[in-house]
Amino acid sequence: MNRWLIVVGREYKTRVRKRAFIISTLLGPFLMVGVVAAILFIGMSSTEMNSKVLIVDHNNLLTYNMPGEADVLLPSCQECFPERIFLEYRFASKALDTEAFLESEFTAMIELDDGIMQSAKALLKYESPAPMKVQSAVKRDLGEAIERLRVKSESTLDYDTYKKLKVQIGLVTQNIVTEDRNIENKSVIGFVFSVFMFMFILIYGMHVMRGVIEEKSNRIVEVVISVVKPEHLMGAKIAGIGLVGLTQIAVWSLLSWLLFLGFGAYAETSGLLLKLMGEQGSQVGATDFLTFIQSNEKLGVLLQVNWGMMLGWCAFFYLAGFALYASLFAAIGAAVEQESDAQYLLLPAMIPLMFSYVVNIFIIESPDSTLATFCSFFPFTSPITMMVKLSVGVPWWHVAISAIILIMTVLLMVKLAGKIYRTGILMYGKKPSLREMARWLMYKNT
Amino acid sequence: MNDTPSLELFDVSKRYGTHIALDGVSLEVPQGSIFGLLGPNGAGKTTLIRMVAGITAPDQGSISFFGEAMSSEHISSLGYLPEERGLYKNMRVGEQAMYFARLRGMGKKEAEIELTDWFERLEVDGWWDKEVADLSKGMAQKIQFIVAVLHKPKFLILDEPLSGFDPINASRIRAEINRLRDEFGTTILLSTHDMSSVDELCDHVALINNGKKILEGQVSALRENARAGRIELQFRGNLIGFTAALGAGAILHEALSLGDNIHDVVLGLPPSIPIEKFLKWATSEVDVLSCTPKVVNMDEVFLHAVNSVSNTDPS
Repeated sequence: MNRWLIVVGREYKTRVRKRAFIISTLLGPFLMVGVVAAILFIGMSSTEMNSKVLIVDHNNLLTYNMPGEADVLLPSCQECFPERIFLEYRFASKALDTEAFLESEFTAMIELDDGIMQSAKALLKYESPAPMKVQSAVKRDLGEAIERLRVKSESTLDYDTYKKLKVQIGLVTQNIVTEDRNIENKSVIGFVFSVFMFMFILIYGMHVMRGVIEEKSNRIVEVVISVVKPEHLMGAKIAGIGLVGLTQIAVWSLLSWLLFLGFGAYAETSGLLLKLMGEQGSQVGATDFLTFIQSNEKLGVLLQVNWGMMLGWCAFFYLAGFALYASLFAAIGAAVEQESDAQYLLLPAMIPLMFSYVVNIFIIESPDSTLATFCSFFPFTSPITMMVKLSVGVPWWHVAISAIILIMTVLLMVKLAGKIYRTGILMYGKKPSLREMARWLMYKNT
Repeated sequence: MNDTPSLELFDVSKRYGTHIALDGVSLEVPQGSIFGLLGPNGAGKTTLIRMVAGITAPDQGSISFFGEAMSSEHISSLGYLPEERGLYKNMRVGEQAMYFARLRGMGKKEAEIELTDWFERLEVDGWWDKEVADLSKGMAQKIQFIVAVLHKPKFLILDEPLSGFDPINASRIRAEINRLRDEFGTTILLSTHDMSSVDELCDHVALINNGKKILEGQVSALRENARAGRIELQFRGNLIGFTAALGAGAILHEALSLGDNIHDVVLGLPPSIPIEKFLKWATSEVDVLSCTPKVVNMDEVFLHAVNSVSNTDPS
């Protein structure tokens, strides 16, 4: 046991003190926030280019001729077409032909006819597609203008009264048993967990394989297994490297939490919070960050997730799922002499991992489907699928069965992989076939 | 010295699939000896060594260590230097040596003292904090040797310990091997192809071929045996007359005329004729200049053994 711990210690220490590990562990959360910020920034900067939209109104449906200037049209409802940084409107009574449009300053052109009152549809012509942000602004602006007309022509209400009466229902969903709310948003959190799960299992699983190949190819393994049993060496390697991954998960969780709180404090003191609330049109007079998050429809889920439970199960499913795949990778590493020879064996081992990752996209859509249930029990997919299941709420017995199946499979797998490892690690020369490796399983325990 | 052999193999066999790597080998390694394990490539030496090092177990037969069945209890009394060897690239030299010392059950303090001593002895002090990648091949081999012997094992397995060393360092390592035996009474199982190191180091040897032991014994006795009564005689006189006078008793193996009627001959004497009696007769026939038992080196011992086995064994 003592020797085993010494091996675990070496596997752990030599990895966590590597510069690459320290940097990626400390900067990981910042990098991720940075990437998200960069995407948002790029998305925003793409709309910096001003769009000029020409609205062609043959019949003065929404416009009137400026007195004295018959050629100039003005919108009847000035406030319906506000000036925006990224969008300007011009009005005309005649459409431009294609050539004239291409030569003009306009980026888009909309021709109105009377039909719009019924169909509520308009045709927007462009040379290069209008950004989504512009399109939705145009939709809103035109919509309001048409709505005003309709209210005026078909009712006795004034528009402000109409607006007050108008209702838009927000749907809050709740599980009748668990009383969990808005699981759709929560499943996104589960999905993020499962992406990390996939990443960690794969990255650190590869570490195990590389470590085994290193020991085998430089023959150091002979010295070590003259002291520690081969199966124990394999187990120690998996445990040591598994702990490295767990360390990174723990540091990332802690840093992300601090980053979240830090951002909150910054937002509160810098006035950013007020700006954010203004944009959101929030009626809640929140002065602190957490209340703001809570009141936000999308972000509110951050406070509804049971982080303790999620992180706890994440640690469990990571360790078990990692042990499962890492023992496979260790057996593969033991069978070959260099990394390039491992490819043909790696592919079959990675298929279930890839499968569970891809299938997750469907599982977040419907976490209760048969596929999801199957994947949450099947041990090679459950570590990843269960993250989504757990995030949306799952009965305790479901978790228990999944965990038990997984643990049993891990025990079996470690045993089988240990047999292949023990034989393979001392074999040099030719690359073994899968059939040969299967035969190693039959070798006596020596 | 205790009579219990430090290592005893009894009827040990090992097979891999259909290949028989070792076939009923029995061996006794006396305590405090330097025991040479010899044999051509693929003879089964590595298989045997791996079993003694505790890496694999025999399919059949038993291995005992100082009179006890081999077990994990013996790990700290064993040292092992495999033939093809390496070090962890991502660890520093001292830290690496420390790791193996602790795996063999040494405490940190004790390991540090021993390591400092060995590093000085093999002139690798100052390398403690170096990266393994910066070591030359010879340096790395010294570290590997230190790692194998650091914990003062009672039983040390060295697989080709001198390969790759330059002559100066090879003789230094040879001296250390002798010192381990003389100072600490370490028993050393030494596997090698290099017959000169057997001649210089080993007091006992065993020869393995095709998974079978074909020879075992004390080096001096084996030499005597392989000499098969041969002597080297230098004389002045008539070679033909001398040969004719030998009669049926002795056999002439080689003859070399040095000129001036001086001849070098190798003669085989039957056990019935002691060398003194022969010499008495010879001086009466010719002018004997010198007479010595034929010096047989280990190469000849083994060629002799391998040939006699393949002559008697049709397989």
